Parts: sequence; C-alpha cells; structure tokens
Amino acid sequence: MRVVASFSKLDEVRFVSHLDMQRLFQRAFRRAGLPLAYSQGFNPHPLLSFATALSVGYTSDCEYFDITLSEPIPTDGFVSRVNAVLPVGVMITDAVDAGGFKGSLTPLMRSADYSVKMRFERDLSSRELHNAAEALLGGDIFVDKKTKGGIKSVDIRPMLISLSVSEADGNSAKLDISGKLTAEGGLPLELLFGALYEKLGVNAETRVHRKRIEMDWTVLK
Amino acid sequence: MKNNIENALVSRADRISALIAKVEKPTRYMGGELNMRVKDGDGLVRFALCFPDTYEIGMSHLGSRIVYNVLNNRSDTYAERCYCPWVDMEALLRESGEKLFSLETKRPLDEFDIVGFSLLYEMCYTNILTMLDLGGIPLTSAERGENAPLVIAGGPCVCNPEPVADIIDAFLFGDGEELVSEFTDVYIAARSRGLSRRETLLELSKIDGVYIPSFYKPEYEDGKFARLIKTEPSAPDTVARRIVSDLDAAEFTGDLVVPYMSIVHDRIALELFRGCTRGCRFCQAGFIYRPIRERRMKTLIDYADAQLTRTGHDEISLFSLSSGDYSEIHEMVPTVLDRYTKDRVSVSFPSLRIDSFMKDDLEKMQGVRKTGLTFAPEAGTQRLRDVINKGVCEEDLLRTVKDAFTAGWHGVKLYFMIGLPSETDDDILGIAELARNVSREFYSLPKDMRGKGLRCTVSASTFVPKPFTPFQWENQISVEEVLRRQALLRGALKGIRGVEFNCHFSETSRLEACFARGDRRLGEVMLRAYEHGTRFDSWDEHFKKEAWDEAFSECGLSVDQFAGRVIGLDEPLAWDHMDALVTKDYLKREYESALAAVVTGDCREKCNGCFGKRCKTHCRMHYAQEGEV
Repeated sequence: MRVVASFSKLDEVRFVSHLDMQRLFQRAFRRAGLPLAYSQGFNPHPLLSFATALSVGYTSDCEYFDITLSEPIPTDGFVSRVNAVLPVGVMITDAVDAGGFKGSLTPLMRSADYSVKMRFERDLSSRELHNAAEALLGGDIFVDKKTKGGIKSVDIRPMLISLSVSEADGNSAKLDISGKLTAEGGLPLELLFGALYEKLGVNAETRVHRKRIEMDWTVLK
Repeated sequence: MKNNIENALVSRADRISALIAKVEKPTRYMGGELNMRVKDGDGLVRFALCFPDTYEIGMSHLGSRIVYNVLNNRSDTYAERCYCPWVDMEALLRESGEKLFSLETKRPLDEFDIVGFSLLYEMCYTNILTMLDLGGIPLTSAERGENAPLVIAGGPCVCNPEPVADIIDAFLFGDGEELVSEFTDVYIAARSRGLSRRETLLELSKIDGVYIPSFYKPEYEDGKFARLIKTEPSAPDTVARRIVSDLDAAEFTGDLVVPYMSIVHDRIALELFRGCTRGCRFCQAGFIYRPIRERRMKTLIDYADAQLTRTGHDEISLFSLSSGDYSEIHEMVPTVLDRYTKDRVSVSFPSLRIDSFMKDDLEKMQGVRKTGLTFAPEAGTQRLRDVINKGVCEEDLLRTVKDAFTAGWHGVKLYFMIGLPSETDDDILGIAELARNVSREFYSLPKDMRGKGLRCTVSASTFVPKPFTPFQWENQISVEEVLRRQALLRGALKGIRGVEFNCHFSETSRLEACFARGDRRLGEVMLRAYEHGTRFDSWDEHFKKEAWDEAFSECGLSVDQFAGRVIGLDEPLAWDHMDALVTKDYLKREYESALAAVVTGDCREKCNGCFGKRCKTHCRMHYAQEGEV
C-alpha cells in the first residue's frame, strides 16, 4: 500500500535539513511500528519520497511525501499513529491511499504560496515597499544564478506569479508571494529577496512560511 | 515587572534563534529533540552537562547520556546539555555579545548552579576554556566569586587531573552513576544551609571520589614535580576512584535523546560490561575501569526492546572494551540477531577480540549488512605483542579473517601503534608482513568463495603513555622518529594488494602525551595557548602548533619535558594522590614483565592482585576464584 501524506514543519524544527527530515520520518515510522516496505539491493531503505525539499529555516503547512507499506492499514490510523510519536513541530495533516497511482509526487506540483516576514535594517514607508513590489512585478527581474557552468544572469520574473505587501509597519513587513514550483524547479525566493533589497536599497532578515503547494491531484482521483 | 522579564526572555530566545539561523549546522544548537527532558519549576538545581567537543561527538558519548538521565530522574535537579560551539557559532556569539547557552532552555552558562565537563580526551582541554569564556564564567577557580557556578569535571582524564586543576573547582573520579547524585545531594544541603563557596567545597571534599584541587598545592624541584602539599588539613591524602559494584542494577541512559542531525555513534549502545580483564599494558581504559562488571543479557535485551520503540533507531551496537569476553556472548549474538534483524535493525560488534571471535557467530551475521570488521593486533611481531600483553597471535588473526572473508566480508581494518616501548624497525616491518598475509588469505580463496576486492586498511596511531598503565613511566618517541617509522611502514606496505595505509598526525599525539602525564604547570600553558587562539586541537585543520609553542616558551616549559621524558620508577608522579584502585606496585611489576616480554594472564583465570589488599573487597572476580560466589 502506498500512502500520500501532507505534513507541517513548524518553528521548532525549521532548521532541520531535508536529509534529516527523511531520517526523522523513518525513525518515527519505526516508533509507530508501521509495516514499512523496503527497496531491494545491497543497502535497503524504506520507500519514502518527498514531493520537494523545503529550505533550511523555512516553515510550512503543506509538505508532501509518499511512503510504501508492506501491508494495508487505515489512513486515519496512519495519521494518528505517526502523530503520536513525532517530535514537537512536525505533524501529519492528512493521508490518503495512493490507490493505483505509482508515480512520483514531484511532477504533480504546480505552484506554491508563501507568507514572508521581513525585518529591514531601517524603517520603511508603506509606499516605498509597494513601489518596489510594483517595480518587480512590472518588468524583468534579472538575478545572478549559480549554475553548474558558473554564475549566469537569468530573468526570474516568469517564475513569479504574484507578490503583494499585506502589512507594513516601521521596519517590518509581511509579503504574500506566489511562485511557480514544478519538477523543473521553483521561484528562487532568496534571489527574489535580493532583487527587492536592491530596489529598496536596504537589507532585511526574513522568515519564510510556505502556506500551500498547488498540486494537480487528478491522477489520484 | 513580570512582563519585562518575559519580554527579555522572549527576545533572548529570538536573538539565539537568529544566531542559530546563521550557522552551518543549526541542529547542533537547537535542542528540542525527541526525548529531550523538559522541566519546569523554581528551586531546581540547574546542572549544565558540558561536553568540550561538538554536538555530534558529545551526543555519541554514553557516559554523558547516563549522567543526563541520573540527574534528570531527580525531581530537584534539571540537567541540560551544552556542547562546544563550532568556530562559526563562536564568532557569532562574540560578535553579538550573547553568552553560550544550553540546548534545553537556552539559558546562559553562567546562570547555572553547576557546570560539569566530561573529560575524555586531553586535546579537548582548550575547548573547556572556550565554553567557560563564552559562557561568561571566569576561566580559573581562583577568579570565580561566590555567585559563579561550580565548575566540575568527570571522565577518564580525571585520573590525572593536574593539567586542568586550576580551571576545575571539583573533580569526580570514577563511575558517575552514584557519585554525581551524591555530589548533588551534598551541594543542595550546603546551599540550603547558606554555606559559602569554600565551605561548600569542603563539604564536597568529604565525598569519596571527589577531589578539590584548590585544597592542594604542588611543589617542584629541578624543574620536575616534587610533591603535593595539602593547604586544607581536612582534605583527604588520596582520592579513591568510585566504582558501581552492581552495574546490572545501576541506572542507565533512560530514553535516548534522538538527534536530528547525524551524529558519530547514531545507534543504541548496549554496554555489556565495564572493565576489562585482559591487561593490555598500553591501555588506560583496561586499568581504570577495573574490575569487570557485567550487565545481564536480559537487562540488555529489555533495554534494547524499549529503546528501539522509543527512539526508532535502526542500529544496535554491543559495546564494551572487549565484547567477546562477555560471559553470555554466545547466547547474546544469536539472540540479538534473531530478534532484531527481521525488523531490519543492524547490529554492530565493535571491539571483538580476534581470539574470541567465533566462526559460528560470523555465520549468523550472514544476513546482516557487512559493515566491515576491525581488528587491533596493535603490534607487528609476537615479541612486541608480548611486551604489551596483547595475547593475540598471527595464526588467530589469519584464521579469523579467513572465516570472515569466506562469510562474505571484504573490508578489514587493522589497528596498530607506532612507538610502543622497545619497538624496533623489525616490529614496524612486521606490521607490513601481517598485512601481506591478510591480503594473501583473501586472494588465495577461490573467487566464488570471497567478495570482489579486498579493502584492508592498516591504521597506525602513535603510542601515548598514560597514567595508571604499566607504561606510565615510559616516554613517547620524538616527532621526527614517529615520522621516520611511519615512512618506513608506508614504504613496506607499498604494493600489497588491497591494502591501504592510514596514520594519525603526530603533533597532536605529542601534545596528548604531554597533557596525559603533565602537572599543574600546564594550566598556565593552556590559558596562554587559548589566548593565542588554540581551538579544537583534536581537529587537525584547527591545530595551531605555533600557538602552543609560544605558550610553552612563555611559561619556560616544553612539550618534551613531559612527553619525551622517561620517569624513574621511584620518582613522585603528578597523579600519585589519585588512587585508581590498581596499585602502583602492581603497575611496577607489570612494567618489569613488559620489559622482559613476559605475558600476564587474563585475570578471570587467576587473580593477579592488581588491587592489592582491596582485591577482596572490590573485585568479584577475586571472590569467584576464592569459591565464595
């Protein structure tokens, strides 16, 4: 049986890396006593895969993984058994039977919504912020991107779906950002922030929260 | 007011969180792991368990996990963990002015009542200074005022505490399970009576196994340690090592804290027994953990069952100084394998001795991942193995590796030491000969009976004479000589099929030898070296030889006068006031046997009298032979 589950990753564990999250879940499944299925080969490992990684330091309400079990169990039992043994800050929010769906979750991803808190090095007016946001949306956003072949200048504007300032007060602000997120890659948030700081002429500390990943679930229905 | 305090706390947590966000490995400082102990309440004794190395090393130390559990099982005490910050975090702490903090509550180190360090390795000593300094605690006992935390230390290095005696207020000598709790009892009683720092230390000095260095003053003659004078008449003349007589009933780790990051020993360790009966003459652990005390198999299996469920670990390690000597080993191995491998739990068996490793057990491990076998012949010739009392012969080794190769293993690690007392070039060449024979065993097997290619790693560390071993009077050979012998070995190993050579950098071993047998004058050297920027000396990339050289020369001392000197059998030793239970007479007898290449038998067969008069009261092996048990 293959289970597709969503989980949240909150403040307490926001510094846990993607690799460490995999180990965290593997250990939790063991504690929960789930009947795990393993890969074949020299070094068998549980058949656990994530739709995408979340950057270290980010929090999220909506990460996805799939896990293959060696025998079927009720999905609500899956949720409660795993949640009973997860460390504070990680929680399974939903689980469904993948049924006949055999593929990876990654190609199902379409886009993601983020809520970003920023604390700037100085106070900013709401107008300054809105102008900068408008300016970003209004044209190209060329950023220096590290690739295998070295640093390349690329336009990330096509990856940006929407950007709005929802709160602005003194040196802090809250932004809502939507960006493409597919198997080919996603909106590079840190580079977008860099472009914003450049427009504003000031740096900020950020806290990023992923609110939602838009997935094409039709294959599951 | 309350609001202000809460705001201050919140903002401090936020500030710490912002620092954690900037380091390379945030999970080193984050805390909040599964099974971390959480306590709330006023009036708790705040105990910081500090490990003077990184999180991933400190979290792998079984002793600290035991003490964490023992202390936190007390309702009057909260023990929190703190590890040495890596250089990136150190820089951030200095830049921001934040103090080094505990993982559990992010409390600054100087707000604890007791700050205790685990001393496992001499090359971690300067990390103690880093932690005290960043924690806002004065570096030396003499500078600490009434309100400063008590800085204490435990662990194997306490058997010669003198090099860090200026820094530590109280040492706890020996097994910690009972001692650390008695210490806390006396501390609480002293606090409730409102005793001063000095009065508290006096009370603590009455506990067996507690050493208060400020109650003693060393004297030197002709540049050598001469004697230790008591400055506090009621302090004991000698401090005897504490042992837990019933290990099976002693408290263990409780539920293991499960790290987020991958740590060095990321598994459930089953401590089969403490102590060792073999008497390898270079091995400090073989002397300072005597007598041998076992846990029952049932106790261990119950613990493993519980911890697998409580942690989700998928690896168990049978842990001890010589696991093959465990009296139930031949039931234990199949039981553990049958019980756990079906759930894909892998089982590792470090420190199995060659002669005790049985073919049957190897075959049982067929289904388990072949993670590699490690053997430690230590020396290349039978003569030298007799000198060090490593009762292992080449035929045993070759037979065992052949069995292992046939059972599917193709990775073997062989550990040796360079610079053992009386070593000659023939002994060095003997190491290569042994490796050649191992390679031949592998390649002489038919192809269908063995793995594809041999991976035999020969590792050669540098011999370090340690206190409370028969070699405590011996010197370490010079750095030049170490390098020459390493080169000789490297040349001799060249061209042997499937064999690789690994050797440890020798400057750190030199300093380790210096601090292992050093005296209290090294405290000043350490402080100066720290000022000159020494950090993480055990990490080659951080070791700063020039800083140490400068510190030694400023103090008018040299590494060689400690590391390179043969001490006369009748000279006073800087650690004579520490009583490790094994008598000095016994160590002298063993030293003389070593020089004559005479082997001493396993003390499970015949009591060799290592505790002298106390064999009767302190060692069960002795009872057993007397027919009393």
